[in-house]
Amino acid sequence: MIEFKNVHKTFEGRASVHALRGVDLSIPSGEIFGIIGQSGAGKSTLVRCINMLERPDSGEVWVDGVLMNSLSPKELSKSRKRIGMVFQHFNLLNSRTVFQNIAFPLELARYPKKDIVERVTVLAELVGLTDKLQGYPGQLSGGQKQRVGIARALATQPRLLLCDEATSALDPDTTISVLRLLKDINERLKLTIIVITHEMQVIQEICDQVAVMENGTVQETGRVVDVFTRPRSRAARSMLQGFWDPKLPSALQSTGNTILRLTFANQKVHQPVIAQLVRTCGVDVNILYGRIDQLKTAPFGILLVELVGSNEQRSQSIAFLQENQVEVEVFNP
Amino acid sequence: MINQAILSMLWNGTLDTLRMVSIATFLATLAGLPVGVLLTTTAPGHILEQPFLHRVCGGIVNLGRSIPFIILMVAIIPFTRLIAGTSIGTTAAIVPLTVAATPFVARLVDGALREVDAGVIEAAESMGATPPQIIYKVMIPEALPGLVLAVTVTAVNLVGYSAMAGSIGGGGLGDLAIRYGYQRFRGDIMLMTVIILVLLVQGIQMLGDAVARKFYHRN
Repeated sequence: MIEFKNVHKTFEGRASVHALRGVDLSIPSGEIFGIIGQSGAGKSTLVRCINMLERPDSGEVWVDGVLMNSLSPKELSKSRKRIGMVFQHFNLLNSRTVFQNIAFPLELARYPKKDIVERVTVLAELVGLTDKLQGYPGQLSGGQKQRVGIARALATQPRLLLCDEATSALDPDTTISVLRLLKDINERLKLTIIVITHEMQVIQEICDQVAVMENGTVQETGRVVDVFTRPRSRAARSMLQGFWDPKLPSALQSTGNTILRLTFANQKVHQPVIAQLVRTCGVDVNILYGRIDQLKTAPFGILLVELVGSNEQRSQSIAFLQENQVEVEVFNP
Repeated sequence: MINQAILSMLWNGTLDTLRMVSIATFLATLAGLPVGVLLTTTAPGHILEQPFLHRVCGGIVNLGRSIPFIILMVAIIPFTRLIAGTSIGTTAAIVPLTVAATPFVARLVDGALREVDAGVIEAAESMGATPPQIIYKVMIPEALPGLVLAVTVTAVNLVGYSAMAGSIGGGGLGDLAIRYGYQRFRGDIMLMTVIILVLLVQGIQMLGDAVARKFYHRN
């Protein structure tokens, strides 16, 4: 369990940057927790406050009952060994082989040689790099480098893994495979993973909960399904809009009919709600756009529909849909 | 005319030069490396941030580098006598050569260490590495190709300095060039010493490049 209590951080310089403006956030153990925001929202600073790579100016950071700001350098060094970190640009040591890179945190913690060999072998298998152990990072692809980064972060068997834009430097296919690896690790090792990202897709694929950041504050937190279907903050809504909604041709927007944006979560995805709507309310429904996605494990769908009918039929339709637990939003103004 | 005696003189001069250069390079690296590490790590934002120490240290290094070698060599003759027992000959010349090269090495080491990716240092910090661990296990190994090249440049420079040392009784090829080539108008001996010096510098650079390449694993 990680808790931020009123955390502030300002970077002094020619132009001071108020990166964190009073962050309160608690992150439960065992889940994959996403922190999303535009660049400059303060998410990287926030995650660096967990292992004190950045020291907050004020406020408290608790990790499993330990107040991180209060630790002596020695205690901090020890507790950092229980927190793994994965970086956007991998940050591998170019002078070391893959084996030596994964062994590095074990060396720092003075593990006996025999244990190091054993542990590295297990980790290499976990991330699928057994045949690359004697190569150097310079000979690997981006995805392979990040796998080394993940194996290295897991070497000392941390309870917590911090991923700072871990997939942002990777191509789409590699992103998917690295995300799958993280999900698999979370399930197998039961460790907490905190994922920093500016990509909705990352949240959608693997996260259980999400916090949306803007201007150094947390705007909204909740289960991913809830935030995706019923975003409460402006920041969440604007991030989602860019992610889900298509650009409708202007001809479609100016027909004068009501266009609704319907969001289906969980079981609703399986039911023929639209067919029932047509039968019950007698409106004509013109489907303009639709997609079904997977939110980690839950199905999730979006439809843009045009309602053709009288005003009364329209309001009846909206009521019917809401009764059936479909999120309804009027799409055109 | 080049005879056996002159050839053996050239051979001994070459050995003297090599001895001066290699010992001075070794000692200057030994002394300059820690100073370079100190310069880098005490810089603002680095792992042992100490702005005042950083500035003082940088100032001393710059001072050392700004004194022309020929002046330095004469100025520290008392110190040279203290260390070597004499101020004449190749052994004595090693003292000013080392003193002159140390700040040079320190600055080059600083430059090489600053090239180490800050992200890699941050990664090591995130794993709980202590500052000494970061210096020995991250910064120096990661900068090794650059450090080897820094030592190479120093050795090449010292070949030049050692020839200068020869002009005031330092021995080696510079001594030969002055005494025979210049004072006795032996253009042929002058030419030979220059050719040997050029070959020496080429050899040192090639060796340095080869060693640096061995440590270079970026691609």
